[in-house]
Amino acid sequence: MTDAPLKERTASAEEVEFLARLRAGDERAFEALVDRHYGTMLAVARTYVSSRAVAEEVVQEAWLGVLKGLDGFEARSSLATWIMRIVANIAKTRGVREARTVPYASLAPEGEEAAVEWERFRGPGDAFPGHWRAYPANWNSIPEEVLHERDSLRVAMAAIAELPPAQRAVITMRDVQGCGPDEVCAALEVSDGNQRVLLHRARSRVRAALERHFDG
Amino acid sequence: MAESHDHVSCSEVVELVTDYLERSLPAEEAELFEQHLNFCEGCVWYVDQIRTTVKTVGRIESEEVPPEVRSQLLTAFRDWKRS
Repeated sequence: MTDAPLKERTASAEEVEFLARLRAGDERAFEALVDRHYGTMLAVARTYVSSRAVAEEVVQEAWLGVLKGLDGFEARSSLATWIMRIVANIAKTRGVREARTVPYASLAPEGEEAAVEWERFRGPGDAFPGHWRAYPANWNSIPEEVLHERDSLRVAMAAIAELPPAQRAVITMRDVQGCGPDEVCAALEVSDGNQRVLLHRARSRVRAALERHFDG
Repeated sequence: MAESHDHVSCSEVVELVTDYLERSLPAEEAELFEQHLNFCEGCVWYVDQIRTTVKTVGRIESEEVPPEVRSQLLTAFRDWKRS
């Protein structure tokens, strides 16, 4: 597995055009920007500060930073990456002031975490060590309407809310917002390997929550 | 990551699945992973559960911006435009 820094994506043509609208003072464009990034900004801020309330203040301050920097933004990174870096910088400063800096290294995944409880696999003395004791359920047999009902969305959201902050930030960026791995690495200043471990742990935990929901 | 190099076990599949879906497994390991899925229905279902999880999470709406925050930000935007 390679852990080389990803080549960072620069702003797309679409983004450059969007940027022009923002700079021209287009309020609809600004609102769209706020709608798109607000949740992710909160998730990123929460990786550095202790409470949701402080994270909200960080995000407000970050928007002022975005406005201040908008004219000078050179589109060498995507807009999302640039915004998340502003959030991260403000949140870090705030975290230090709170004297509860999440030490830098702790954004990296800590310790070991099994995707599935080890009890669900056969032990080393078994004829088939590491094999499922009982297969996980086939979710293809779950009716679409159950799979797609609001309840399963709520379960997923609740599971994400319970995640450790770094995992929450990564799954929010990757799977809720659809950001690329390069954007996550740039915003959270983690290596590609680490963003993948965080994503893996987050998805595994959300899967487990959905499994409890579907399989009862 | 696999303990032996001739196969991966179910307990390894559940740890490799994200690397597999992200296409970041080395070719040789990706091949072992796929070989395992060829004969293990349980792991096919597990990988499918992860895919369903990703799809479900993808349907979550971004967090709503509270109205008072929205209006404060719009005011800031108008001020910025004027300056």
